[in-house]
Amino acid sequence: MTAVKKAPNAKQVVNWVLDHAMILIIVLLAIVVQILRPTFFGVASLVNILTNTAARMPIALGVAGCIVLAGTDLSGGRVAGLTAYLAAMLASTYLGGSPIVALLVVMLAGMVVGVVNGFCMGKFKLHPFIVTLATQLIVYGTYLTMSNSAQVAMPKSYTTEFATKTLFAIQTGTKANGDPIMTAVPMLVLLAVILTVVMWFVWNKTTFGKNMFAVGSNEEAARVSGVNVLLTIIGVFMMAGALYGYTGFMEACRIGTSTATLGLNYENDAIAAVVIGGVSFVGGTGKISGVLLGVFMMQLIITGMTFLGISGNITYIIKGFVILIACILDMRKYMTRK
Amino acid sequence: MKKFLALALVVAMALSCVSAVAEGNALVSWYTFGDVYLSSVREALDAAFAAKGIAVTDKDSNGVQQTQTDDVNTAVTTGTNALVINLVDSNATQTAANLLQVGIDNDLPVVFFNRAVGDQDAAGALLTTYDKTVFVGTNFDEAGKMQGTMVGQYVIDHYDEIDLNGDGVITYVMFKGDMANQEAIYRTMYGVQYANIELEKAGKPALQYYDASAPTNGEEGPYLCDMNGTWSQTASNEYMTTILAQYNESNGNMVELVIANNDDMAIGAIRALEVAGYNVEGAHTIPVFGVDATDAAKAEIAAGKMTGSIKQDAVGMADAVATITANLMEGKDKFDGMNEAYSVTDGWFVAIPYSVYTGE
Repeated sequence: MTAVKKAPNAKQVVNWVLDHAMILIIVLLAIVVQILRPTFFGVASLVNILTNTAARMPIALGVAGCIVLAGTDLSGGRVAGLTAYLAAMLASTYLGGSPIVALLVVMLAGMVVGVVNGFCMGKFKLHPFIVTLATQLIVYGTYLTMSNSAQVAMPKSYTTEFATKTLFAIQTGTKANGDPIMTAVPMLVLLAVILTVVMWFVWNKTTFGKNMFAVGSNEEAARVSGVNVLLTIIGVFMMAGALYGYTGFMEACRIGTSTATLGLNYENDAIAAVVIGGVSFVGGTGKISGVLLGVFMMQLIITGMTFLGISGNITYIIKGFVILIACILDMRKYMTRK
Repeated sequence: MKKFLALALVVAMALSCVSAVAEGNALVSWYTFGDVYLSSVREALDAAFAAKGIAVTDKDSNGVQQTQTDDVNTAVTTGTNALVINLVDSNATQTAANLLQVGIDNDLPVVFFNRAVGDQDAAGALLTTYDKTVFVGTNFDEAGKMQGTMVGQYVIDHYDEIDLNGDGVITYVMFKGDMANQEAIYRTMYGVQYANIELEKAGKPALQYYDASAPTNGEEGPYLCDMNGTWSQTASNEYMTTILAQYNESNGNMVELVIANNDDMAIGAIRALEVAGYNVEGAHTIPVFGVDATDAAKAEIAAGKMTGSIKQDAVGMADAVATITANLMEGKDKFDGMNEAYSVTDGWFVAIPYSVYTGE
């Protein structure tokens, strides 16, 4: 190593900017919003962004694993919808007061779907897009058959006494009658942090995690070097299923009711966030920190647009562009490497 | 360089769309931008708020409750002064309660409109817990009753013409918009019951569902429902196409009357009928009835392809929502200066009246 540092030339600067373009755009956007709307980085707003990020992390963590395998998973949203219903039924009929047991049960239910996904993909070499499209329909049909579209309210023991229980609250204003306005950080934020740490451990510190990346970057090479490809694929989808179950449970608690629309298109937002976070559809690359960043940035964009008072119509266009640019930048890195 | 240009474009676009946020600022969270009737309410509501000097942020939940809940939470942190909510999961009282709690916690008015927060008892119990909230809607049963009466009278007046197979009984199909939606349930039930009341008065037999083996669903009666709960043209069109493959004049069992919960579904059925050679120039017209009197439906009625609809007063609803929201924001009495044609029940429920539409 020499101590002499060369001044970076113009090309290197451009490359650096392009490599980090996604973050730069969003930081820029955040600064613009902050200048125009000074409450953007206020306590209430930050807590809100944090809570929404925490709510979307689990499904994104699940989908991310599937994308690392160079696949995808379209069943996530509907699995969340089904498991939300199961959680609501468990709450109102069988398990009354035990949200943790119900959470584990619905995660198990999600895993069953994941095993089917993984098995069909690994065993019959089916494309994950088509497998998970099929299971998405099967899961939704199962939900409709079981529930008949009934709306089931979540009880307090699951919501305000568990998932949305206040960890701590900060005063952010005063009502007209002098009472304080409190902004609360709910339990589900802490749970999402724990979940993210666990997933980081699984991805980075376990043989299973390393096998996942090996299969994702080159399935044949992984097989030759002794990785059980089928089990790895099943494991990744099973893990994703469990995370969808977790999502369904938490979303039903957060929103208040299990309904037929719960879970609709959740997987799309998750896939978009994961891609923005640099988990490549090419397979074999991605980081938990990237997923977190992707979900957080997506929230920052959505929230920022609300702050700016941008109409719903335009919001879709901007979201679309962000996803497109993220993918272009990602492929650029890949092509350079090649 | 092109990439830079693309990036610059996005940022520029984001900035150019920044609307002025006035002192009075209301979030209007919509169930979906994709609904024709709601779009006409949105247009009228934007205008009504503008006339009162209140800036509006319209957000599209795109049929996803999570999006709406997030939008409401976010709007509060932007310093919005009122929450105007077109609930995604209609009748999900607990969901509405959570949203109402956001308003209570932040001392903001919460105006629900169009999509019910629960059945009459549940909604009343919830909305009377807070003084700065109301529900602006319609009497759940009124559209269905009005539609039923209209159908009944029309059938009586054109009985032999409608009765294609001449068996003296009129067969019908009912398209329901959403399984759990309160208004859909009442429209499905009364759309037929009230038609039968008229028929009975005229000494005619009751309407008969085209498929005798369909589940009767108790008092509600048989129906085909949009399982996505979106009251969509697509759903009714697919159902109708399937029906027509099996039920037609050559089998002597043609469906003789179509009743739909809304105009979109009525139009979906008309498109299928056209393919089968009905409701086109010079052919037999199967009477098709909807609800909403959307512009599209008015055009169908004018063209003679559709028979009647029930007009939901989009402008009236927008006017009531804007008036109440402005009153609550200014700390005035909720219903100060509101049109007296809108009935108020127990201080929380404002009903906008319907009217029959069969052409100008």
